[in-house]
Amino acid sequence: MNALPCTIYISFLGALLALGAGMRSAATARVVALLTALTSCTVTFYAASQFVPGPGLQTLIDKPWIPQMGIHYHLAADGISLTLIVLTGLAAVSGILFSWNIEERAGEFFALYLALIGGVYGVFLSADAFTLFVFYEIAIVPKYFLIANWGSTKREYGAMKLVLYSFAGSALVLAGLLWAYAAGGAHSFGLGELAQAAAHFSRHEQLGMFALVFLGFAVLAGLFPFHTWAPTGHVAAPTAASMLLAGVVMKLGAYGCLRVAMATFPVGLAFWSPLIAWLAIIGIVYAGLVALVQQDFKFVIGYSSVSHMGFVLLGLAAANATAVSGAVLQMFSHGVIAGLLFAVVGRMVYERTHTRQLADLRTMPLHRLMPFAAMTFVLAGLASMGMPGFSGFPAELTILIGAWKTSPKWALFAAVGVLIAAAFTLRVMQVSFFGTTEGTKPGSIPAHHLDHPMAPITWAERAGALLLIAAMVYVGLKPDILLNWITPALQSPLFQTALKGGAS
Amino acid sequence: METTVNHIVVVPYILMEPLIAAALIALFLRRRHNIAAVISVLAAALICFRALKLAFTGLRFEGGFEWLRLGDFALSLGVKYDDLAALMLVIVGVVGLCVHVFSLGYLSHDHAKARYFGGLSMFMFSMIGIVLADNIFMMFIFWELVGFSSYLLIGHWHEKQSASDAAKKAFITNRVGDFGFLLGIIWCYYANGTVNFTELAALGDKHALVFSTAIPLLLFCGAVGKSAQLPLQVWLPDAMEGPTPVSALIHAATMVAAGVYMLCRINVLMVPQALNVIMWTGTVTAIYAALCAVTQRDIKKVLAYSTLSQLGYMVAAFGLGSLATDQEGRTMVVAAGVGAAMFHLTTHAFFKALMFLGSGSVIHGCHHEQDIFKMGGLAKKMPLTFATFTIGVAAIIGMPFLAGFFSKDAILYLAYANNRAVFAVLVFTAVLTSFYMVRLWKLTFLGTPRSEASEHAHEGGLTLTAPLVLLAVLSVIGGYTGIYPKVFNGVFELIPEAHGSAHTVIFATSLVVMLVGSGLALTLYNPAVTDSLEQKSPGLFAALVALKNSFDRVYDYYVAKIQQRFAMLLNFLEQIFLAGVIIRGLAGLVGLVGLGARALHVGNLNAYVYWFLFGAVLLWAYATGALAF
Repeated sequence: MNALPCTIYISFLGALLALGAGMRSAATARVVALLTALTSCTVTFYAASQFVPGPGLQTLIDKPWIPQMGIHYHLAADGISLTLIVLTGLAAVSGILFSWNIEERAGEFFALYLALIGGVYGVFLSADAFTLFVFYEIAIVPKYFLIANWGSTKREYGAMKLVLYSFAGSALVLAGLLWAYAAGGAHSFGLGELAQAAAHFSRHEQLGMFALVFLGFAVLAGLFPFHTWAPTGHVAAPTAASMLLAGVVMKLGAYGCLRVAMATFPVGLAFWSPLIAWLAIIGIVYAGLVALVQQDFKFVIGYSSVSHMGFVLLGLAAANATAVSGAVLQMFSHGVIAGLLFAVVGRMVYERTHTRQLADLRTMPLHRLMPFAAMTFVLAGLASMGMPGFSGFPAELTILIGAWKTSPKWALFAAVGVLIAAAFTLRVMQVSFFGTTEGTKPGSIPAHHLDHPMAPITWAERAGALLLIAAMVYVGLKPDILLNWITPALQSPLFQTALKGGAS
Repeated sequence: METTVNHIVVVPYILMEPLIAAALIALFLRRRHNIAAVISVLAAALICFRALKLAFTGLRFEGGFEWLRLGDFALSLGVKYDDLAALMLVIVGVVGLCVHVFSLGYLSHDHAKARYFGGLSMFMFSMIGIVLADNIFMMFIFWELVGFSSYLLIGHWHEKQSASDAAKKAFITNRVGDFGFLLGIIWCYYANGTVNFTELAALGDKHALVFSTAIPLLLFCGAVGKSAQLPLQVWLPDAMEGPTPVSALIHAATMVAAGVYMLCRINVLMVPQALNVIMWTGTVTAIYAALCAVTQRDIKKVLAYSTLSQLGYMVAAFGLGSLATDQEGRTMVVAAGVGAAMFHLTTHAFFKALMFLGSGSVIHGCHHEQDIFKMGGLAKKMPLTFATFTIGVAAIIGMPFLAGFFSKDAILYLAYANNRAVFAVLVFTAVLTSFYMVRLWKLTFLGTPRSEASEHAHEGGLTLTAPLVLLAVLSVIGGYTGIYPKVFNGVFELIPEAHGSAHTVIFATSLVVMLVGSGLALTLYNPAVTDSLEQKSPGLFAALVALKNSFDRVYDYYVAKIQQRFAMLLNFLEQIFLAGVIIRGLAGLVGLVGLGARALHVGNLNAYVYWFLFGAVLLWAYATGALAF
């Protein structure tokens, strides 16, 4: 357990090493990056195996940082952060495996990538709002460079939009936190202390602070109607960055909502939760329908991410132990599934066919040209549709059950989203991989697809895909491995107060 | 007691063997087509063997373990092996084995045989899961999995656009039903605190069950999807795009019957209003599908509509509910609906699988000709197929002393006793049934060949004919409950049996019905390449075709005109969101975007982000300063 903070330092150190290694050759840089990610992943797995679930955060390190302002460098973990840290470890390793073909400025690429990972680890481990915020900002900056330098389709636009939304969100968070800090007597940014102070705030203060902090974080979690950065950002990003964006960065937002906004301002949560739930439901259905008519493969996945993140937000808004544990499970599940989907689209398909237009892909019998990619996508697609046996099923089911407890109406409308998910997933699966060859004349298939067989799927891609598939299936069959961490964490007094609507 | 434990040990095998077979095929044998086929058939043979052995030992047991605990909400996986499950498992095992063997011959030259057999094994796994499930939730898990296997197998020839569309349609239509099913399960859990069948029954005995009309109706939604009842029946005729053995196994004998099985499982939750809805849904489906079947030209489509119609019979039988009978002077209320529905499910599984495999044999013999008006004269070319198919037809139209006769009579009697209106509709449906089945039989087998394909028709090999013979035997004897050892008594004792005057009425009715329907068909249809009904009564024919098309039209309209357009509209709004608001609305931000782009261009990207960090710090300082007061 106590080794967990090392994940942050290893990642930052690895970033520097990768930058240096990049001077020599791209190959060295990627080996360094992979070793770094593997090391921190191993640390998280080791910590997970030692973890004793219990209520409340288990402090890992707590040192005064800026004592004048009561800011502590306070890192701690509970079952919820552990779940997300394990996810980060998995996503980091597989992301590097799917970036194995980066040749252009590989050192910088992997340095930025690892810096982003370090920031993400930091957010999930922070128990001090200020520390959390700093790591949160650290995670935003590399995203911009990754997209703007190594991205595709309208990359500057996508990168800029993402950064604008992120900073706008973090400005709201910061404003809310400072307000709470000041109102609480400017003693401490510690999450526990803030929550204690918040208990004495007036109702209006709580409502306002919650609104600022929650909204600020929820922007990054893709809350409708502030989700529009997500599809463009995902599409513009290079594969590894899309995987991280959808897989981990969106979870930063959701995690912030849960850990900071909900735990600190229970009265605000009780007031705002119906609105959040309805926005989440609209997001689920709306993004699903929009995904249904996209012509660009990656946009379909981008919108499906927004739709699935809607379930996370719904689970949080339903604010009972079942729904929230479902939301955390869904964060993990979606992180893995979305990572896999983006890997197939961005790396396996796009870099071989050089098109993401469904109309073009339709004319290529991709399931024959790249059966491994087809199989991976079918598995990930099934998981994304909520098929039993994969992690998406227990996660979304738990959220629906929890949402029903709070309001059966929410469960009813959100379940429509599951239906739509089947529709858009099957559509894209069929069109892109099992496109019709009937009726297309041989000449109408672009000649180069027939002349040159596509480059075979590399070992790195296979390893990355198998890693994520294994996680997806394992959690799908044994969801209690994660729920046994998550559920006790929700027993902490902080969460109990929040889940009871602030009536402590 | 010790032996019971031993038999619980068998259960994981029966469930896991097909899964292991499917996994082996998917992982290692995708190109080893013949090995894959052999493994899959072996798995099916083992299932059949174990199912029979397990059933005839007479041992019944249940047990389970918790899979997922969410606070006060626990989901468990377990096995409930009672007479109902034993019967269903035997049906799945026997028909499954027949279909596996038949597939060996039918798909011997298929380019994706391994995928096909992998799909079949996957299906067997999921179906057995439904049969053995001890709670509704577990049933739902496997319910979804059979949906997926069905998707895989309908779309087996995915190069054909129609096949992959049909697969998608089947999956999504089923999801619509499952939507209600899932909500029903959650509701049931919150109302009763359990979804375990045994615990629910125990609550029912103690009169402690929370009754509501909504719960059984929501659960029934699942059956409407899976058993293709109105208005979600649209997927089943399209599903005939799949290979014919698949149609026999999944879309006739087992999976589509799972809806009826599920209803029998949750019988304890039923209330009169819900039963009423279920009864009428089944009745309307029965008559509607029978009317549709009359105009079909495709041999498989006729059978598909016939399946719909027979499923309607089963659902209606279930909905007719319990029956008060006089036993030794005491009035007993018997769940006759369950008995009649399951009885018909059993006999139907045999004779419909027989006819589907028979049609497969015909299609195979005629080099993939499926139009019955282009067949004819096959009786001489394919005598064995002819003989067995004739038995199947005789069974479904209710020829006395064949399987269908007994089970249909049980349903008719129950309707006669409980609801005369339903009785009338079901009797008329029976007339139609014998009409369209005899039409099919006459056009396919009698007369002279009407096309090149049927001219050169030939009987298939042993793998094609052996399953036909076995199923034909079962279609003859399957209706005598006496032939089953007492091990299925838990189900068969519930079958309503007419006595005295009611018996005469029912017997006479079904005899007349059969003679009228088949007589009409025999006289009306001439061996010709055009439909005699169409020529003699174009108005009626057109009306029937329109009736058949009406649902498809509505759905197509919904998908193409409403859903698609709505999604396009949202997408349009989204584009405005994406581009419009920022570019036109917030000119300043556009400037920043441009700045960013330019910064990138001159290679000084960092400056821009530093500006942002600077701004953030400024804001922070401002906020602290402002709030410090």
